[in-house]
Amino acid sequence: MDIRESILPGIGIKYRIDAESGDRIVIIIHDDGRRELYHFDYEDLEQSISMTTLNDQEARLVASIIGGMTYKPKQLESVEMTFDDFIIEWYRVESHYASVGKSIGELDIRQNSGATVIAIVEKKGMKYVNPGPEVIINDDAIVVVVGERDQQKRFKQILMNGSG
Amino acid sequence: MDHLVFEVGLAIALIAAAGLISSKLRFSVIPFYILIGMAVGPHAMELWHFDFRFIESAPFIDFMGRIGVLFLLFYLGLEFSVGRLIKSGRSIAVGGTIYIGINFTLGLALGFLSGFPVAETLVIAGITTISSSAIAAKVLVDLKRTANAETEMILGIIMFEDVFLAVYISILSGLVLSDSSSLGGVLLSALIALGFMLAVIIIGRKAVPLLNRILRIRSNEVFGLVVFGSLFLVAGFSETIHVAEAIGALLVGLVLAETEHAKRIEHLIVPFRDFFGALFFFSFGLSIDPLSLGGNAIWLALAAVVLTLFGNIWAGMLAGRTASLSPKASANIGLTIVARGEFSIIMANLGKEGGLLDIVQPFAAIYVLILAILGPLLTKQSKPIFNMLNKIFKFKDPRLRKEESNSA
Repeated sequence: MDIRESILPGIGIKYRIDAESGDRIVIIIHDDGRRELYHFDYEDLEQSISMTTLNDQEARLVASIIGGMTYKPKQLESVEMTFDDFIIEWYRVESHYASVGKSIGELDIRQNSGATVIAIVEKKGMKYVNPGPEVIINDDAIVVVVGERDQQKRFKQILMNGSG
Repeated sequence: MDHLVFEVGLAIALIAAAGLISSKLRFSVIPFYILIGMAVGPHAMELWHFDFRFIESAPFIDFMGRIGVLFLLFYLGLEFSVGRLIKSGRSIAVGGTIYIGINFTLGLALGFLSGFPVAETLVIAGITTISSSAIAAKVLVDLKRTANAETEMILGIIMFEDVFLAVYISILSGLVLSDSSSLGGVLLSALIALGFMLAVIIIGRKAVPLLNRILRIRSNEVFGLVVFGSLFLVAGFSETIHVAEAIGALLVGLVLAETEHAKRIEHLIVPFRDFFGALFFFSFGLSIDPLSLGGNAIWLALAAVVLTLFGNIWAGMLAGRTASLSPKASANIGLTIVARGEFSIIMANLGKEGGLLDIVQPFAAIYVLILAILGPLLTKQSKPIFNMLNKIFKFKDPRLRKEESNSA
């Protein structure tokens, strides 16, 4: 792979990347934080065939996806993060779930599933880190759970049906 | 009666309207600011409360335009760095020299062949040589051309032109603004101008640690006042020794660019540059009576436009070849930097201050109007234009030739 960096005075920095596949990608980082990605034609390396514009935050997210790093999800229903057998998963509580309105103690989550709730983020911005048994699971909250794969599966059951 | 605020408000509203129209049409704003200025002015009418003649406020608007020039050049100084220019390489120095050499020679030829005296010819050559960095950089971003191979060369040539502009204004202002008519006197004032520039730059470089300390001001208000104060003081002082005030502003920018506060100053200055810059174009338009256009100024401007187009394409092809770019990319170079704008008008104003022939101003107005509109259009249509030129000239791709010789 061949990367060339050059400064575009008054505009920003330009990176030209020639990949092994024969693709040419040019990335422009504008001084205002905007990123532009250009993809050039295989046949005619002077003709850009597609381009994308990302803002600073989007560009960072895309970078972390391409880089294979995980990031804090906002829109996804569940994303996995693995430490050996342990998985951290995010669940979005939907209004039809039977667990809505019940407390962690009532559902007896740890006993019934083996998984542990490590955080709850509610839509209105309330956050609970390591919530106690009295904390109630509300509609549209995001529940972060640590546990092995089958423990996660049982937890999902409890969340949806109200019991294991 | 004093309706100064109202008149200025009217002027700004007109400028804003021009700006809105231009952005609706997706066009460069500069020609619109000038046109709206030309449309009103002393020859215009007075409608009920609205006085479009701007008689009371003319000196005031003119002054704000002058401030606009100061900010434009101050910003240029802030943005400019010698390190960057050196880093951008030899091919750009070669390309920039070719570009300025060709266009400047053509400008001089135009002036002399039309029978103008030396001073006028030099101003005209300046007007036709220096392209508008603002328009060219904006067009590149707007047309999504920043990723192209020739972009570095285009921006390099623009930067090169900025250096040329700085040196040229300083020589020219010594020549045009000085009272003396003898060659010795003119040389002396040009020397004073150059000496003043060198002195400010050298003292400024030495003073960077001191400036760093002085500018470590928490309050934005006081920070702004200190920066503006030094800008106006140095620019104003330059004028008293017959060095264009624009040069003074440029120098302050160059010196402050070396301090650790450059970014903060840039942020502070940009809104002022945009606001007063717009008033600068408007006031330039205001000083031109559209009814007086015509005759010689138009013909001269049209001739200059043709020469500039020719010179730009030629210089672009040559410059591109030295950087071993393809003919198509080389054509893009010439067609992108055709636009003329702020610097040509600064040149024309210098001529006016120096009491040169009256034709220079309307000439510059028509010339800038045509090229500021034509420039972005040509850039956009560079592909069909290249194809057309290619049919006539059958450009050879230097890279292909190299490959052929390699394989042979």
